Amino acid sequence: MADYKAVTIEKGRGGWGGPLTIKPTPERNLIYSVTGGGIHPVAARIAELTGGEAFDGFRSSAPFDKIACAVIDCGGTARVGVYPMKKVPTVDVHATSPAGPLAMFIKEELFVSGVKPENVREAKGK
Amino acid sequence: MSQPEPEVGSAAAQELRYSTVVTAVGSMVPEFTAEGLLVWFAEGAPEELHEFSVLHRPTVTAGGVVPGDLVRLDGVELRVLAVGPVANANLVQLGHLDLKANGATTAPLVGDVCVEQFPLPTVEPGSRLEILAGSTLHIGQTEETA
Repeated sequence: MADYKAVTIEKGRGGWGGPLTIKPTPERNLIYSVTGGGIHPVAARIAELTGGEAFDGFRSSAPFDKIACAVIDCGGTARVGVYPMKKVPTVDVHATSPAGPLAMFIKEELFVSGVKPENVREAKGK
Repeated sequence: MSQPEPEVGSAAAQELRYSTVVTAVGSMVPEFTAEGLLVWFAEGAPEELHEFSVLHRPTVTAGGVVPGDLVRLDGVELRVLAVGPVANANLVQLGHLDLKANGATTAPLVGDVCVEQFPLPTVEPGSRLEILAGSTLHIGQTEETA
């Protein structure tokens, strides 16, 4: 039986939103990296600490209900809003603030930005 | 014969930074177009991005887009005014481009490529996007003379 752990993800320098607490479940275990150049180090770190599975969204696709959180490297227009719109907790490695046509979907409890690997830590007491 | 060779290999061909052909246009693209914004992703981008994206199949992905370059979208030519710090990485790695015809000379968002304020054409499958180096265009050159 997979033993998943929770992590707390805080915004990095110049970032916005969060903190998010992410804990995968057997049904929702993917750390979905929608980033250039394969699995982003932030996604790898979340996967390592939680026991979730890092998944490259540009290599194959996954249904939304399998995604524990999405990691994006969006400069603020498109990917920044899509996952929050689908209620998927979203971690942007760039320090973006809500903007663009999908800004209305970007909420603090679903979105955190400017995140570096060191902003991902084991959640205390979870 | 003794004809002197030109120093620089004739600048007839403008350097192509990017060239691609549209393969699909998402259902929300017209609304984005009306706001002066086109979001591009190469084919193979996750499905959830298709709705609002122009999907395309690039043939030239050199990148290195800088202000002064020229975006040619079907018959329309638009001068690049600002390039966000992550825009080129997005373009080369993901075929991702946030093209904004907003006239901004500094990119509001780090992924933006801003061009002149001008109505964007309606793109459809088969449309071609090219980005050409501006160095041969002699646009807005500032010469520093002490």
